[in-house]
Amino acid sequence: MTATEPATAPDAPVLRRAARLGSLGEARNLGLIIVLVLLTVVGAITAPGLFLTWGNLLNLLTTASVIGVVTVGMTFVIIAGGIDLSVGAIIALASVWCTTLASQGYGIGGMIFAAMAVATIVGAVNGALIAYGRMVPFIVTLAMYVSARGLAEQISGRRSQIVSDPAFAQIAFNKVLGIPLLVVILAVVAVVGWVLLNRTTFGRRTFAVGGNAEAARLAGIDVRRHTLLVYVLSGVCCGIGAVMLTALTNTGASTHGMLYELDAIAAVIIGGTLLTGGRGSLVGSILGVLVFTTITNLFILNNLETPIQNIAKGAIIVAAVLLQRRGDRRNAVTH
Amino acid sequence: MTETMLQMTGIVKRFPGVVALAGVDLDVRPGEVHCLLGQNGAGKSTLIKVLAGAHRPDEGRILWEGSQVGFGSPVAAVRHGIATIYQELDLVDGLSVADNIFLAHEYASAGFVRGRETREVTVALLERLGHPDISPGTEVGRLSAAGKQIVSMARALSHDARLIVMDEPSAVLAHDEVENLFRVIRGLTAAGTAIVYISHRLEEIREIGDRVTVLKDGRTVAAGLDARTTPTTEIVKLMTGRTIEYAFPPRQSEPADGDPLLEVSGLTRAGEFVDVSFAVRPGEIVGLAGLVGSGRSEILETVYGARKAGAGTVSMGGRRVRPGSVPAAVRAGMGLAPEERKAQALFMLASIAENVVASTLPRFARAGFVDRRAALEAAAAQTAALELRPKDPRRPVRTLSGGNQQKVVVGRWLLKGCKVLLLDEPTRGVDIGARSELYALIRDLADSGVGVVVVSSEVPEVLGLADRVLVVADGRIVHEAPAAELDEHQVLDLVMEGSAVITKEDVV
Amino acid sequence: MSQPKSAVGRRRFLAGGAAIGTGALLTACTSNSPKEAEGSTGATNAPAAAAEGPAVTIGFSAPAADHGWIAAVTTNAVARAKLYKDLTLEATEGTNDPAQQISAVKSLIAKKVDALVILPFDGKALTEVAKEAMAAGIPVVNLDRAFSSPLASHTFIGGDNYGMGVSAGNFIAAQMKAKNIGNPVIVEIAGLDNLELTQDRSKGFKEALASHGLKVTARQAAEFTAATGQKVASQVLQANTKIDALWNHDDDQGIGVEAAIKQSGRTDEFIMVGGAGSKHVMDLIKADKSFVKATVLYNPSMSGSAISLGRLLAQKKGLSDLVEQEIPASITTYSATVTKENVDSYLPIGFA
Repeated sequence: MTATEPATAPDAPVLRRAARLGSLGEARNLGLIIVLVLLTVVGAITAPGLFLTWGNLLNLLTTASVIGVVTVGMTFVIIAGGIDLSVGAIIALASVWCTTLASQGYGIGGMIFAAMAVATIVGAVNGALIAYGRMVPFIVTLAMYVSARGLAEQISGRRSQIVSDPAFAQIAFNKVLGIPLLVVILAVVAVVGWVLLNRTTFGRRTFAVGGNAEAARLAGIDVRRHTLLVYVLSGVCCGIGAVMLTALTNTGASTHGMLYELDAIAAVIIGGTLLTGGRGSLVGSILGVLVFTTITNLFILNNLETPIQNIAKGAIIVAAVLLQRRGDRRNAVTH
Repeated sequence: MTETMLQMTGIVKRFPGVVALAGVDLDVRPGEVHCLLGQNGAGKSTLIKVLAGAHRPDEGRILWEGSQVGFGSPVAAVRHGIATIYQELDLVDGLSVADNIFLAHEYASAGFVRGRETREVTVALLERLGHPDISPGTEVGRLSAAGKQIVSMARALSHDARLIVMDEPSAVLAHDEVENLFRVIRGLTAAGTAIVYISHRLEEIREIGDRVTVLKDGRTVAAGLDARTTPTTEIVKLMTGRTIEYAFPPRQSEPADGDPLLEVSGLTRAGEFVDVSFAVRPGEIVGLAGLVGSGRSEILETVYGARKAGAGTVSMGGRRVRPGSVPAAVRAGMGLAPEERKAQALFMLASIAENVVASTLPRFARAGFVDRRAALEAAAAQTAALELRPKDPRRPVRTLSGGNQQKVVVGRWLLKGCKVLLLDEPTRGVDIGARSELYALIRDLADSGVGVVVVSSEVPEVLGLADRVLVVADGRIVHEAPAAELDEHQVLDLVMEGSAVITKEDVV
Repeated sequence: MSQPKSAVGRRRFLAGGAAIGTGALLTACTSNSPKEAEGSTGATNAPAAAAEGPAVTIGFSAPAADHGWIAAVTTNAVARAKLYKDLTLEATEGTNDPAQQISAVKSLIAKKVDALVILPFDGKALTEVAKEAMAAGIPVVNLDRAFSSPLASHTFIGGDNYGMGVSAGNFIAAQMKAKNIGNPVIVEIAGLDNLELTQDRSKGFKEALASHGLKVTARQAAEFTAATGQKVASQVLQANTKIDALWNHDDDQGIGVEAAIKQSGRTDEFIMVGGAGSKHVMDLIKADKSFVKATVLYNPSMSGSAISLGRLLAQKKGLSDLVEQEIPASITTYSATVTKENVDSYLPIGFA
């Protein structure tokens, strides 16, 4: 090293450790892990014999499963510099489509296919309008948010469509080695998502497209095609989520997925992904979902009233972000 | 090695309203360092973008290793073996060093990145560039500008490029870093790789370059000059002597006297500039001439309090101004028209009037409510005095031309009643016809008693406009003289060669 | 949704009705066919339709039908209106935006309808515009969600939220007594907690249970949707390892509650009482094979009655069986408890 001016930032040990852990930016998840541990302690004290049980843990994870899967897709979209406000509406549309009498006539296979196909197509329409129609993601997905839910209401006549095929409802009952199938699905989607984001060219390019689209273009990445694919991926996640939610509630309804876009975006942002794209962590997003779900679970176990729940929820979100920011500042570089 | 690797002939590139390249020829041989010289706006950046496939030329031929090619996209250029290191570093901050180097040409099997191999090759590349200290896993956003430059170079090497274009690679590098860069370049050329090297520093060109092509106003004015033997005066002559001359307003017959309005003494900021001292008197225009990266803009911003000085003082009317505080500078009577007008000074969607009164709103407010009519009238009076076109102050600023936008910024400070106006590249993005008018306006301001500091990378502009010129190179004021006693060649010599080549007759 | 928005659709119906001749009566008689069941709620007291009066137009405005109950309210109103040959219904598009509903009502006033039936999304927000209608001489029937001023309507007709809670509480108390459970664990899954009606229901439930010496062990609020019902119920089940009875405020969110109970495997542990009275829940009660034993009515059929009242107001008639010559100022429908014993008589009004 011949340089007098150091090429790397002075405060490097933390970073090196983070880099050695295999993925950049995972160190910033520490704040969320602290919050989760604190919540667990609070749960163990306030709801003894209820919170720290295998049954409650599995139930908590089951509750987190649908929004968790949606959040995986949302993480990709936001890292790529976009936003998807239509996830909740896509879930509603897919759930309604897969539970119409016509779809149910094809049995469980047909229903799953219907949900997946509808969600994937809607995601592709979002992506095509954004990438090739050069429209702003916020506007495109906001329009989709309105029209997909509208279409869901149109198809369902605004009524809950009960699932008649017991095999489909079974998705929410099945267990794999004692773990509910829905939780297993979440785990699989999260692991596949992590590998895709951190270990494949697709994931690396997602960061590049979101971080510096011009640099990505000059490097030879087909930025438009990549953008399209990211929204398709979000659609696929919504399709999986729709199947899960339909099984969980045993019904398809245009009210499904209400406010999921906000929950998913909040989890992604709390998880340390930049809303402007280019930087982010899937582990953080999943931790974000778990923090939200654990908070709700704690409140219900303690039979707290709704207004108190809402006040505390807001406070905990701010606390989590502050904790995370402190961790960040410690790693920050002064330029 | 006389065969030609790359031959560009008659390249023309037009943008709406501008001809950026009006017929450029360039030939590059294998294993040579070919230097591209030209003033700002001569077309260097456009030319390398054409070469990199980022712009498609409107006319002209490109022969690459004997066959005619058209680089339709950046990928196509890279595939032919041409890599470009841009001045504005085109890296992704959120990705690691290794990921950036292999972006879009990853070592991968079935879409999975082969992490170990990537790291190993990255380490080897960085070692070859003399920087084993950079870890492949480090996030690029956490590297210094020099570190980023190294990553860009590693990326070019990773493509096995046979021609590497470097756009002012030394601008962000410290002295010994430059030595290291040259060592790398020599290694590459020895292996037959050609380099197109763009720099303003003649001493670098003498040291590393083989041949020189000079661009002026979008044309090749000289090709294949010997980099070591061609006299500096000849190169400078080729670069200057502009075809378009501006009308500069006449200077005051006698130099300004009276107590200085603004006094800067011993101002220093580590890594940017050292021991800068100057004074501005009422009615005087002081020009700072220097290259991009010489520290001239930084000096201006530090005087204005936007950056905090490491040492030295700034005084207004004999009283010290609190360092590192823009409000304090504004209260003391300073105003800055920044280089990045649109980003740093103007509210593009707001009206002319709103922009003009932006710094003086409290004056028009009663109990927090703005008296819109009074504000509009004041703005209208100001814009009329500046001969702003269009006249209607309710028009949005974004519809104005560059020159008129600059007038809005100036008008804002005049309304505020500022005593010293700091202008950073006042004519950037201002079309040629409007420049003379802006020059006249600046002179009028000075005649009314305002002190003006002008920073410009266009030497003729500083010489024509200012009363007194300070030449800045490598963060130091290397020369100070009345503008009338300097000519373009001398100043270019000074800014390009640094303090080393001040000839006797130049020293006053 | 088949909401006749224009007079064109309406006219087509009238023409059809004329062709049949005694159309209204005919329809009334065949109302127990399953297809008609959901809409022909008021068929039992159809006589009012027989005494044909002068032709009148009634304006109808309700929130967006994004919930089974509201959807049923709208379809019931439309179906009821079809029973009368002398009645034209001007139904505006449903909306959950008070500002938009106000402008919808204003447009109806401008069209000079003879009476208005309004189910406000927010009673307070719609009060002024209803007053405006009354001042313009258009009688207003206030459906379900009350205005804040008595001057804003001639008549209020609505369900009894407090009574719902009371019915549910009384039924559960009786069941506990019959099963001889001394200190039962009773849980409550409420609806949207920031609505007054939810508070009223919970109050009635609590007070009815108290009168039998019982109390609510746990109460959590869902949001009237199947998904939130499932989410909240699954965790309430975790929080309470032993449950004897559960009251769920709303049968739409009940689909989710039911799914959560099935997923927990605790299908034989406790009884569940529903709310509002959906067809699905009534079918379950009739089959008597599940934990759902009863539901307390909050019946969307009231919109049919509101249309009938509006028509009578427009024609300046009273209720023939009452001593007074005018339509009463307030009618509160009774929240009946539907059980296995009486479910058959209520099935036709169960909403889908």
